[in-house]
Amino acid sequence: MGRHLLVNFLATVTVISMGLVTLIGLVSGEDTTPATFASFLIRLVSVIAAVALFVGVLNLIAVHMGRFVRSEHGWPYSLIALVTALAVIVLRILDRADIWPGKLKGEQISVRVFESVQVSLESALAALLVFFLVYAAYRLLRRRVTVWNVAFSAVVVIVLLGSIPLKRTDALADVRDWLIRVPVSAGARGLLIGVGLGTVTVGVRVLIGQDRSFRG
Amino acid sequence: MISDAGWTLIFLAIAFAATMAGRFMVRRFGVHFRPLRAYTVLPELAANAVEGNRRVHFSLGSSALGQPSTISALASAEVIYRLSERLAISRLTPLITLSDPITLPLAQDTLRRAYEYRRNMAYYRSSAAAWYPQGPRSLAFAAGVASLSADADADSNVLLGRFGYETALIGESALRYDQRLIAHSDLVEGQAVAFAQADEMLYGEELYVGPAYMNGTALERGGVIALDVLRWLVILGILVVALQEAIRR
Repeated sequence: MGRHLLVNFLATVTVISMGLVTLIGLVSGEDTTPATFASFLIRLVSVIAAVALFVGVLNLIAVHMGRFVRSEHGWPYSLIALVTALAVIVLRILDRADIWPGKLKGEQISVRVFESVQVSLESALAALLVFFLVYAAYRLLRRRVTVWNVAFSAVVVIVLLGSIPLKRTDALADVRDWLIRVPVSAGARGLLIGVGLGTVTVGVRVLIGQDRSFRG
Repeated sequence: MISDAGWTLIFLAIAFAATMAGRFMVRRFGVHFRPLRAYTVLPELAANAVEGNRRVHFSLGSSALGQPSTISALASAEVIYRLSERLAISRLTPLITLSDPITLPLAQDTLRRAYEYRRNMAYYRSSAAAWYPQGPRSLAFAAGVASLSADADADSNVLLGRFGYETALIGESALRYDQRLIAHSDLVEGQAVAFAQADEMLYGEELYVGPAYMNGTALERGGVIALDVLRWLVILGILVVALQEAIRR
């Protein structure tokens, strides 16, 4: 119990002091001692990020290894994930060793593999999104007809039709442009201002050490 | 003329003063907040998951510690903790997925604290917090998350934090596997998709008041009042600037 309290106390003191030092550093002029120290702390985060990435990869392997060993539902996919992870790591090591002969000399095969597999797959998934969204708009109206649901579906239809590159849809294209320029832009700003204000209020709670996420 | 740094400090000072004043008001007078449907549904959802022996899947999306979305990650983790506290009496550990490796320890610690609080550490699994690498458009992350949630036979998906268009993939999978979807995003794209697909949703700043709505302390509830004060200050500021501009013309 005593140890627990001590750990909590130390964590709170560290968070408050580091938070205040970084804040003072960010609002101080360039090349001042607080600014330099704040910049050092922010750089430190980059180093931690690199280590955390390694931990993340280990976590990914552990999760999929566990699913494979326990033969959980969908274990073949976990096996594919493990083999692919291993293959990419090996490819990267071979790239760094620069062992590719002939025409491949100097090539980054791991990057090429990434672009031809990952980017293509993601593009295919991105292409599906529009169908998911149109279906979601349809379901929205089936579930409950409210003013906002109707407005949402109407805007989806106008934007989709307004994007068709035909001469006769010029009017719809104008409506689409106006929608994006005025109500959508205003709504987006309102939403982002709200998020900003929420961030400030939670930030204050963190700065005064009342956030519990860092305590034991 | 006040510099940007000056404005930042003034804004923080107002937020601090409003939070403290709000805390005093909550303790002295007791304050009732307008109901937010998502925060009524979330505890019910946790209770149903425990009763039905099903999992709940939480996702932080690309909220990341050390990035501009740090506060979003912390606020989401706090809401997840409040719900995990209720779920931690079950043998089935809730799942948390995320795409930022630095945030992984936060997710694991959130679950650990909940299980420790319930003295049920025998059922805590650190691997219940899973990191999925994020591709250029986050779709790889969404595909991984959707499949994990389906394979784990999750009862519901609770998305809190930063999500973009990829929410549509997770939403589609939730629909196909008859899972409930409660979503929030601090990105406009994610919020729009959530509006169309989610059973319940949290708009913009509503995520940050989550702890206040779920057995919050006086300070957390005071934060809701501070948020309202700041909101009205911004509205007044916009009106004053608009009037000034109209008069100038």
